[in-house]
Amino acid sequence: MQQQKSRRLLRSAALALGLFAGLAGAAQAADAIRIGSPLALTGALASEGAKQKLAYDLWLKRINAVGGIQVGDRKLPVELVTYDYQTDGKRAGQLAEKLITDDKVDFLTAPFGSGHTKITAAVAERYGVPIVAVASSEPVHDQGFRFLFGTLAPSSGLIDGMLDVFRKAKPDVKKIAILGRDDVFPKIMASLMAKGAEKAGLSVVYNELYPVGTMDHATAITSMKSAAPDWIYVTGYTADLVLVAKQMSDLGLKAPIVTMITGPAYKEFVDTLGPLAENITSASWWHYSAAYEGDDVFGTTKAFYDEVLAASGQEPDYVHASSAAALITLQKAIEKAGTLDREAVRKALTELDIKTFYGPIKFRADGLNDNRDLPIIQIQGGKPVVLAPAAIASAEMKLN
Amino acid sequence: MPTLSRPLRYAALAGWFALLAVTPFIADNYTVRVAITVAMYSALALSWNFIGGFAGYPSFSTAAFFGLGCYVGALSQRHGVPLVLAWLLATLFVTAFAAALGTIILRLKGHYFAIGSIAIVEVVRLVISSWGSLTGGGDGLNVPLLSGGPDRVASTVLYVMLGIMLLAFIATLLVDRSRLGFGLRCINQNEDAADMVGIDTTRYKILGYALSALFCGTVGAVYASWVGYIDPTDSFSILLTVKVPVMVLLGGAGTVFGPIVGAGLFVLLEEFFWANFLEWNRAILGGIIVFLIFFLPSGILKLDYRRLFRRKSPADRVEAA
Repeated sequence: MQQQKSRRLLRSAALALGLFAGLAGAAQAADAIRIGSPLALTGALASEGAKQKLAYDLWLKRINAVGGIQVGDRKLPVELVTYDYQTDGKRAGQLAEKLITDDKVDFLTAPFGSGHTKITAAVAERYGVPIVAVASSEPVHDQGFRFLFGTLAPSSGLIDGMLDVFRKAKPDVKKIAILGRDDVFPKIMASLMAKGAEKAGLSVVYNELYPVGTMDHATAITSMKSAAPDWIYVTGYTADLVLVAKQMSDLGLKAPIVTMITGPAYKEFVDTLGPLAENITSASWWHYSAAYEGDDVFGTTKAFYDEVLAASGQEPDYVHASSAAALITLQKAIEKAGTLDREAVRKALTELDIKTFYGPIKFRADGLNDNRDLPIIQIQGGKPVVLAPAAIASAEMKLN
Repeated sequence: MPTLSRPLRYAALAGWFALLAVTPFIADNYTVRVAITVAMYSALALSWNFIGGFAGYPSFSTAAFFGLGCYVGALSQRHGVPLVLAWLLATLFVTAFAAALGTIILRLKGHYFAIGSIAIVEVVRLVISSWGSLTGGGDGLNVPLLSGGPDRVASTVLYVMLGIMLLAFIATLLVDRSRLGFGLRCINQNEDAADMVGIDTTRYKILGYALSALFCGTVGAVYASWVGYIDPTDSFSILLTVKVPVMVLLGGAGTVFGPIVGAGLFVLLEEFFWANFLEWNRAILGGIIVFLIFFLPSGILKLDYRRLFRRKSPADRVEAA
């Protein structure tokens, strides 16, 4: 570590002196598997970045406790090389290149943000390095990249699930109001819902996007109020959703069903809103009450839950789980390929079909995880409960 | 930096330029990326220098021009325009945009102009972000990837960026020695007086503003082709719009070499602190900037240029900041 640090210092000094840094690059012996990860440790996505890092660290501890990953007839320990990309797209691309050329990592994981995933994936694609994303939706996978894989299931699965469950709980639901954040993932969740709701025979009485950084939703809320919807559906990140929920209460906007994507999946959302979070529904890619078993280092959902809780005092959400799953995916693919050759590991990833604590993982042609049965949750009594799928449901849906 | 004679300065610049240009042969792609970043910011800094340095108008619209360049370049490429033509188209569009905008916004002065120019970044970002049918809105846009392996892409982008930097430098030299440069400096010192002695201040300011946008447009378009994906948040980043003036101030505003010295130094410092002080790099960098602005208000080249150009009054320095 110290040696690495001093080499880095030396390297930067060389750089500052005149970009002669390349001369300091030392050859990397293949005595460990190196996985590179740009993380958003500061900036807008810092809280997600911290969760990602925590999950990575837990996985790393467990995998190295069993001696590492089996590569052919050798067992190699794993080294994670992480950097903070400061939630900055230019930095993310730069880091991906640094990790590949300078730190000589074998494989990459993508940062949390969708756009940043695309930027790093473009670099990885150029170098032919397999990269596993922890939070990527359909638009991230539309560039035909061969080396990009994502542990999340397609967003459309979330929409279909919610329509089924909510229409069963309230068969007379007719009018839906949709407010979405104009940003890759929240936007696709809004537009998919508009399409899905229309197909299901609902009338979309309000359908607008709000720009990134909106600090006041009063206009949107007032318009929605005059449309008197049965179902209010809002997408965004936690800070946006908390603001919308507060302003909805201030302005007296109510509906039998209120859905926020993906606020209630996060503990912070419930903690900040308190009673205002009650009965808000959401869908998520993963919830700790959906118990799975697998032959990964965690083994069961419960073991993962306990470990995250012990390490951070927080209940894990899909960010933790999906991040750990990304590394498990890489591990399984390396074991399957029996080599660190990137093309072979890529091929193993395309053929992967595994069961993990996170649920089944099997990639579609575009690299998304082809998983159905995504949990639909509701906040009841200050706790998230699972409404569907039936096999893991823990409560009945409550209407406002 | 000790005072260098003029030929020596050109020699130093040529050396720096050559050093950046040979990185693909002597160093890895990460270093090449740093060299690209240096060239890119040098071009942006040289651009800003026209309006912020020569004319002393504290413009914060760099990110607007850069982002527009990204989008025009990306959109034209997606509609079948060949690569280089798309870059030129972006350049033309952004320049025309700046010229048109300049006729309105350059009526503002001092702080009002600064705020107005920063608002432009926000407005353009919102327009691009809301115009989803054309720009993909918050989803961003995929840009056709440059063909070839990573080494080839890196060196291509590097030489294109270096080319833009060189053109921006030549433009700076020409402006510096022309009537336009003289006029802009007069405006910097006292706009009313300049107007009185027969300088067409409005025309000069618009020219300066348009020049400050021209290369930003090209850089944006090339950047878009390089990264392969753009979105409104990263293209119109406020950080970019603040960084570029800081670089110029660091090197010496209104000078010919200042922007290049400032951009190079800033990028390397940023790289150094970021690599070694992960947690504190922003704070350290901020501290250095504050220090430099306080103790070297006219930039690193201050000593060199004190005699060449008329010394600025303290009031002008504040305005330039």
